[in-house]
Amino acid sequence: MAMGQETATDNGAFAFTGDWREYAPIAFTNLLLSIVTLGIYSFWARTRTRRYLWSHTRFIDERLEWTGTGKELLIGYIMAFCLIVVPLGLINLIVQGVVMRGHAGLGGLILVLLYFFILYLTGVAIFRAIRYRLSRTFWHGIRGGSDEQGLTYGFNSLWRSLVGALVLGLMVPWSMTTRWNLRWDAMSFGPHHFQANARWGPLMGRYLLVYLIPIILFVGIFAFGAFFAPRSMVPGASPPVALVIGFMIFIFGFYIVLGVVAISYYAAYYREAIGTLSLGPIEFGFTARTVDWFKLVLGNLALTFLTFGVGYIFVAYRNWAFFIRHLEAYGELHLDALTQSATRAPGQGEGLLDAFDIGAF
Amino acid sequence: VIPGVRVGHYDGVSAIERFPMLMAGDATFMLVESDGQEGPFAFADLESREPIRGAPVFGLKKRPGWRIVFVEGLPVAVAARVPRAKQYGGLIDRIGLWPATLGFAALAALVLFAAVQLPTVVARLVPTGVERRMGDLMIGDFGGRVCNGPGGQAALDAIAHRLGAPDYVEVHVVKIPVVNAVTLPGGKILLFDKLLQQANSPDEVAGVMAHELGHAKHRDVLAGLLRQFGLSVVLGGLGGNVGGYTNAALSITYTRAAEASADGYAIDDLKDAHISPAATASFFTRLAKMEPQFGRAGTELSYLSTHPMSSDRARRFTTSVVKGETYTPALDPAQWQALRGICANDPKAKGLQFEF
Repeated sequence: MAMGQETATDNGAFAFTGDWREYAPIAFTNLLLSIVTLGIYSFWARTRTRRYLWSHTRFIDERLEWTGTGKELLIGYIMAFCLIVVPLGLINLIVQGVVMRGHAGLGGLILVLLYFFILYLTGVAIFRAIRYRLSRTFWHGIRGGSDEQGLTYGFNSLWRSLVGALVLGLMVPWSMTTRWNLRWDAMSFGPHHFQANARWGPLMGRYLLVYLIPIILFVGIFAFGAFFAPRSMVPGASPPVALVIGFMIFIFGFYIVLGVVAISYYAAYYREAIGTLSLGPIEFGFTARTVDWFKLVLGNLALTFLTFGVGYIFVAYRNWAFFIRHLEAYGELHLDALTQSATRAPGQGEGLLDAFDIGAF
Repeated sequence: VIPGVRVGHYDGVSAIERFPMLMAGDATFMLVESDGQEGPFAFADLESREPIRGAPVFGLKKRPGWRIVFVEGLPVAVAARVPRAKQYGGLIDRIGLWPATLGFAALAALVLFAAVQLPTVVARLVPTGVERRMGDLMIGDFGGRVCNGPGGQAALDAIAHRLGAPDYVEVHVVKIPVVNAVTLPGGKILLFDKLLQQANSPDEVAGVMAHELGHAKHRDVLAGLLRQFGLSVVLGGLGGNVGGYTNAALSITYTRAAEASADGYAIDDLKDAHISPAATASFFTRLAKMEPQFGRAGTELSYLSTHPMSSDRARRFTTSVVKGETYTPALDPAQWQALRGICANDPKAKGLQFEF
C-alpha cells in the first residue's frame, strides 16, 4: 500500500471489533443512570454507546471517532420540544374545543393540516439527524456533513410520501428510493459528495409480494371457512376444536409470513440503496440477505422478551454490529486529496428526531 | 525538563497521519517534527476521547478533527497534566457513579413528588375567570347538547342553591345516553340525561351533584390537567411506554384520592342542606349491581380504576345517615317532574352524534 493512498478491498474495508462483554458495563450503567435521572441521562447514554461503537469500527486502516456530546443532544431535544411539541399540543387543545363546539369539519381540516405538517417535519428530522451524525463522525481527522438544512428536503419528502400512497400504495418503492437518493445526494464527507442512484424497478418484485400476500391469504381464509363451515352448521354445536386451532395457526402464520415478506422487501431495499451509493472514488455495498435480517430481528425480539425488556439495552449494539459486518466498500481513496469538510457543522443534535420518537435505524 | 513522547496526530485539516514528538512544558506542549513544529497548545484545552487499543486519545477544544494518540503510552509527567478520562460524563465522573446514582434518585423522587402535589396548590391560585376561559376554549357550549326543557333548569339551580354552590359554578343537563356526570374546567358541571332517568329520587341527583361540586370547589379538574402536563414533561425523557405507564400509575393514585375526598365533601354538603344521603347510597348500590361481579379480584382491580368501587362508596354514604335528623326532599314532585323532562321536553336539544 503506497503512502497516502488507501485501497478498500472486498475483504474487510469495514470491520467491527467490539465485544458485547466489554460493552455490557456501558449498557448497564446507561440503563441505571437513565432511570434515576428520569430519562435525562439517555442523551449521554447514547453518546457513550456511540463513542464505543464508533471507536470499535475500522474503515481500511483507521477507526471512526464519535465527537458528539450528550449536552448537544439534550439542547436539540429541548429546542424541538419547545418550538414544535408544545405549540402542536396547544393546537390540539384548540381543535378539541372547535370540535366540541360542533365545528367538526373545521376541526378535521386543522387536524389534516397538522398531519401534513408533522409529515413534513418527519422528513426534516431524518435529514437533520443524518447531517448531525455525519458532522460528528471523524475518520483520519476528517468529518462529513451537508450544506443544506433539510427544509427543502422536507417538502420533497412530503409530496413524495403522499404520491407514494397514491395508486393503492403501489408507488411506495419509488417514493422510498427517490427520497433516499435526495437526502444522500445532499450529504458529503470531506471534499467528496455522496451519490445515491437507488432504482425502484428492481424492488417492485419483492414489493408486489408484500402487497399481494395479504390479499392471497385473505382469500385463503374464506376458502378455509367455506371448506369447514358446512360441517359445523349443526344447530347448537360449538365449533370443532380442530377448526379453532386451525384458525389460530392460520392467524399466527399470517403474521409470520407477512413479517418475512416485509423483511425480504427491506433487505432488497437496503442492498439496492447502499449498493448504488458512492462517495467520490469509493463505492459501497451491503450484503445482508433476508435470512440475515430475519436472524437479526428474531434475535433482538428474543433478547428483549426473554429478559423482560432488559436485553433491549443491547439492541443498538447488535444493530450496529450487523450494519458494519454487512457493509462493504471498493475503490481507491487518496488521503492527500481527502481534506476537511467545508460544511457548517450543526450546533445541536437530532432533537426533532428525538421529539418525534423516531427510531435510529 | 520532561522528555518528549511520540504521538499519532491528525490536525483536522488534512487526512495524513503524522507522528510528532510531544514536548511538554508546565501548562502547554509543542508537537515537534523534523520539518517544523506546531503549538503551543494548552493541556487544559485537551478533551479526553475513547481510547484506541488502550492508548489514550485526546481532542482539542474548538479544533474538530484535531487529535493526538499516545501510541507509546502516557508518561507520568504528562498524565498529571492532561484531563482525566471521561467515562459517564463530567458531573458523574467528578462525584462517582454510586453517589451520583443515589443523588439523582433522591432528586427524581423529589421532582415526581412535586409534579404530583404542586398542581393542587397551583390550581387554587389560578383565578376562576382564567380557568373559565380555558374551559370555554377547550369545551365551549358542548355543541348545543345542553337541555332546557321548561322548569328543568330552575329545578337544577334550586338543588345547587340548597347545596351552597359558589357563584362561579354552573350546572347543566346534556343529552348524552350515559349514566355519568362531569365537572369541566371553570366550574361547569354537566349531568348526563341518562343519569336523571336512572335516578329514583331528586335526593340521588343531589348526591351526585354534591360530589361534582366537591371537585369544582377544590379545583380538581384544573389540578388534574396541570398534573398530567407536568408529569408528561417530567417523564418525557423516559420515552414511549415506560414514561406513559409511570404517568398513568401516578395520576390514578392521585385521582382516586381526589374522588374519595369529593365524596367526603358531598356528605358534608348534603348534611348542611338537610338532604338524606341514604338515597345516594342506594343509587351507588344499584350501580354496584350493574358492575360486573369480580369477587375478590374486584377489590384489587378497583385500585386500577379512577373511581372507588360503587359498593364502597355506598357504604360510606349509608354510615353518614344521622338517626333522628329531619331530612327534606331535594325537590318537590313538580320540580322533580320538570327536571326529569328537561331533555325530553326540549325539542332543540341535539343528541349525541359525532359528525366527522
